[in-house]
Amino acid sequence: MANLNLTLKVWRQENAQAQGRIETYKATNIPDDASFLEMLDIVNEGLVHEGKEPIHFDHDCREGICGMCSLTINGVPHGGKKVTTCQLHMRQFKDGDTIWIEPFRAAAFPLLRDLVVDRTALDNIIAAGGFVDVRTGSAPNANNMPVRKKTADAAFDAAACIGCGACVASCKNSSAMLFTSAKAAHLNLLPQGQPEKNKRVLAMVRQMDAMGFGNCTNQYECEAACPKGISVDNIAKLNRDYMIACAAEAVGVYS
Amino acid sequence: MNDIITTACKFVTSSIGRKILVALTGSCLLLFLVGHLAGNMTIYGGCAGEGGTSWIDFYATGLHSMPAWLLWAIRLGLLAVALIHIVLTLVLKYENYNARTHYQKEGTLKATLSSRTMVLTGVMILCFLAFHLWQLTFNGDPANCYDHIKAAFTNPWCSAFYIVAICCLFMHVRHGVQSVLQTFGLATRKVRPLYNIIAVLFGIVVCGAFISIPAAFLTGLLH
Repeated sequence: MANLNLTLKVWRQENAQAQGRIETYKATNIPDDASFLEMLDIVNEGLVHEGKEPIHFDHDCREGICGMCSLTINGVPHGGKKVTTCQLHMRQFKDGDTIWIEPFRAAAFPLLRDLVVDRTALDNIIAAGGFVDVRTGSAPNANNMPVRKKTADAAFDAAACIGCGACVASCKNSSAMLFTSAKAAHLNLLPQGQPEKNKRVLAMVRQMDAMGFGNCTNQYECEAACPKGISVDNIAKLNRDYMIACAAEAVGVYS
Repeated sequence: MNDIITTACKFVTSSIGRKILVALTGSCLLLFLVGHLAGNMTIYGGCAGEGGTSWIDFYATGLHSMPAWLLWAIRLGLLAVALIHIVLTLVLKYENYNARTHYQKEGTLKATLSSRTMVLTGVMILCFLAFHLWQLTFNGDPANCYDHIKAAFTNPWCSAFYIVAICCLFMHVRHGVQSVLQTFGLATRKVRPLYNIIAVLFGIVVCGAFISIPAAFLTGLLH
């Protein structure tokens, strides 16, 4: 086990109104099996001992499944290793490295403090999608509703989105198309999602536009930065579904 | 009827709707490029018979012998398509600029250079288009088309400008072709690499053929 000595360039900002700036910190004697967040914990411990304000950052499960951790590391959300920041380990860095740590930036993600941003805009898109008409209560019989294996796999892959917002933060246009398309696709692909399909697509896309996200330019940065490997195939599907939903709405087809 | 108008208004103001319009108009412009190129290739056809009129002069006079209303309908149609394409992309770009707050250290994972310079190459193509129309469409006699082209391309500065502009066109088309297919919802993980190859090949064939004309005059293949 080797220990690392690093230089951190961290975005510090007291509150939403304050002028932010990059500050430089030394991270010394960091074990290479520490996670990125544990490295920040060690640095924060040092700051607290010195009587300084620790670096504020978002985190929760630290298991790569909750989507709460963020951080743009060296210009790439989650560091670009196809894992969340909490699952990014310090062995990915070399002794003496300088690491830039910034919040997930987008106009639709207002900054709250240091590295913490408000990602409520993503929740609003999901809320706009509305309910699914499924029977609640006891579990249905297995295989009661036939679904092709490949369709089920595609829906499950789309549902793997943890809503962390890395797609928005990595996008050159701060577009939320990958997030919205994944959330729409995992229901639109399945028979259970068909009754509200058109309504859901229109509502989610319109909410996405209203939240001030940018427009997709098909650069696929989102797919490359996504810790869950959500495919841009979902974006192509959302484009198709949106065209169909608009046509259906215009001529009054309620299928 | 009201439903149709309401939905149409929502469609052309939505992000996806405008992207689809940009993709549609872009596809029209790609088709125009192919048509224009096919006409240009008559320059390699030489002359009709010994000392006769060159094929490109035939082609140019043929275009101009169309009924005036048809010629102008095509021109105005192309202008409308180009205007929709340009205005919508600039509006989308403006929105994208406002939607983003910038990083102190920027990182890029896989966005191609051509995808990140679409507005720049687009503006270059627009400047080129204005010059090209002024030089060869509005200041030329179709019966002497070959001589006009020869006069333009034997000037190395003019040829160099054309070649640089067509290189910008290559960059624009290289991202544009695959982007159109994704926007229309025709792309999947399996075919996306193929679309990339198609985009590059389309760019190489079309732009290479366009560049071949000034290159041929510069190297003396055409004279």
